[in-house]
Amino acid sequence: MTIRSDDVMADIEASVRDALRRRLIAAGGPAAYRDAEIFASVNAVLARAVERRGDPEGGAAAGPPLLLPELLGDEEAWRPAGELRITSHRPLGGPLIVFVKRRLVLPLVRWLFEYADENFRRQEYVNRIVMACLEELAIENARLRSDVAALEEQAGRSR
Amino acid sequence: MKLACVVHRFGAEIAGGSEAHCRQIAEHLAQAHDVTVLTSCAADHVTWANHYPAGESTVGRVRVRRFETARRRDLHRFRDISRIVFSGRASAAQQEEWFRENGPDVPALLDHLRRHGGDYDRILFWSYRYFQTYFGLPLVADRSILVPTAEEDPLIRVDALETFFALPRGYLFLTPEEAALVGDRCQLLAPSAVIGIGLEPAAGGGDRAALDALGLADPFVLYLGRVDPNKGCDTLLRYFSRYAAGRDVRLVLAGPANMPVPAHPAIRSLGFVGDGLREALLTRARVLVMPSRYESLSMALLEAWNRGVPALVNARCDVLRGQVRRADGGLYYSGAAEFAAALDYLLDRPADARAIGGQGLAYVEHEYRWPAVMKKIETILADHRPRRPYPGR
Repeated sequence: MTIRSDDVMADIEASVRDALRRRLIAAGGPAAYRDAEIFASVNAVLARAVERRGDPEGGAAAGPPLLLPELLGDEEAWRPAGELRITSHRPLGGPLIVFVKRRLVLPLVRWLFEYADENFRRQEYVNRIVMACLEELAIENARLRSDVAALEEQAGRSR
Repeated sequence: MKLACVVHRFGAEIAGGSEAHCRQIAEHLAQAHDVTVLTSCAADHVTWANHYPAGESTVGRVRVRRFETARRRDLHRFRDISRIVFSGRASAAQQEEWFRENGPDVPALLDHLRRHGGDYDRILFWSYRYFQTYFGLPLVADRSILVPTAEEDPLIRVDALETFFALPRGYLFLTPEEAALVGDRCQLLAPSAVIGIGLEPAAGGGDRAALDALGLADPFVLYLGRVDPNKGCDTLLRYFSRYAAGRDVRLVLAGPANMPVPAHPAIRSLGFVGDGLREALLTRARVLVMPSRYESLSMALLEAWNRGVPALVNARCDVLRGQVRRADGGLYYSGAAEFAAALDYLLDRPADARAIGGQGLAYVEHEYRWPAVMKKIETILADHRPRRPYPGR
């Protein structure tokens, strides 16, 4: 008889989820998690968001597009800028300044730049996940509003 | 047919996945065709330093023509341009610069394609991310077959690829997930086939004396490949160190290490291993673990299944999870807790683990034997139809 990977994983995932729920409750997590169904529902929404944007190496362009960044407008104004832009506004000495910064200063401070860059990357990863979570919740909320409106209309008709 | 296989590095001792894929396909194609491999003189994929002499040589049935790399890779410049390109804010010129900086910069190989490309009936290119493919394929697009070896990494979302992926005359993919990934980036795709790689039935055994000399007691979990953070090894080491605290089990890392491996009584890093020891490790391992997030095809996974060894793979890698689910040849994890629970299952239920490994072997028998693989390749090589839309779109 075939052992289905998905069947085994469904059992493992359920048991891991339940252990996590118990651990969160024991550590003083939200009381709503005492209801296993509510926990499963919350877990599903957040997991979906992580799934959509869950690539820590993915850079800002990782995953399908989201609505929230579009609403935030000019991304230059809010997105952490990891890449280093060495420029100068001086028309005459500018090329020399850029050369000195790029060839002499940057090699000396590169270790610090790379340390900071790694942390910018992590922050951007968390930002993407949080935005995706908000969007999942907004979608869920919109669906529920629509369902409630439909039910109210149905109830109104039958009255 | 007169065929050329274009790849960034070539040699029996080169460990990279796409290079090994090219070598094996070229050797099998050479049984029926006139095959020339066009490649760089580099052996090191980090620096691209010239290592082999330029010019013609013969490796088995395959003629190899090597071209010198014009410069070594400047890693700082490459990292800087990668940051810009992967931020999603790069201009078209910066995207092109990324492919130049990635290398290997082999202008003479491009000249050869310009002058002699028409002499070949078909030219197969491996790995879209490297210089020789990105700049070489457009020169001979009418006769080109692309083996993209695409992974779900940030590069696949670069705008420039929309045009590039529309160029080849045919495609050879490694998995259905890779075909879908490339299909999502391009309006029109040429005739294509999912080929994977061919495997001979495993001989079994290997160099057991060498394995015994290492004192590796059963049970052990095997990781096979480059030990590298990009392959998920840092996470694997963290997960396993925690897991091994409560169990009698070891993790064996067999492959060159590009990162420090922590001193831990349950972790053994063997470095590069020869074929005999590799075979023995694969035969005796309880589980093969593949922690990589980015794969276009895991040959180590297929080799483990070829010996009936079950696998535990990173669920966040669509290719690995897809292979495991199609084969029912293992389990997958997306966090430390699932890693531990899945490993517990495979180690504590040896009969089930053997059955799962056996299902993996049955999958290899069905999908990955050489005659079936070569038949698919020959069909694409012989396809003279004009390009048609990719069926996935």
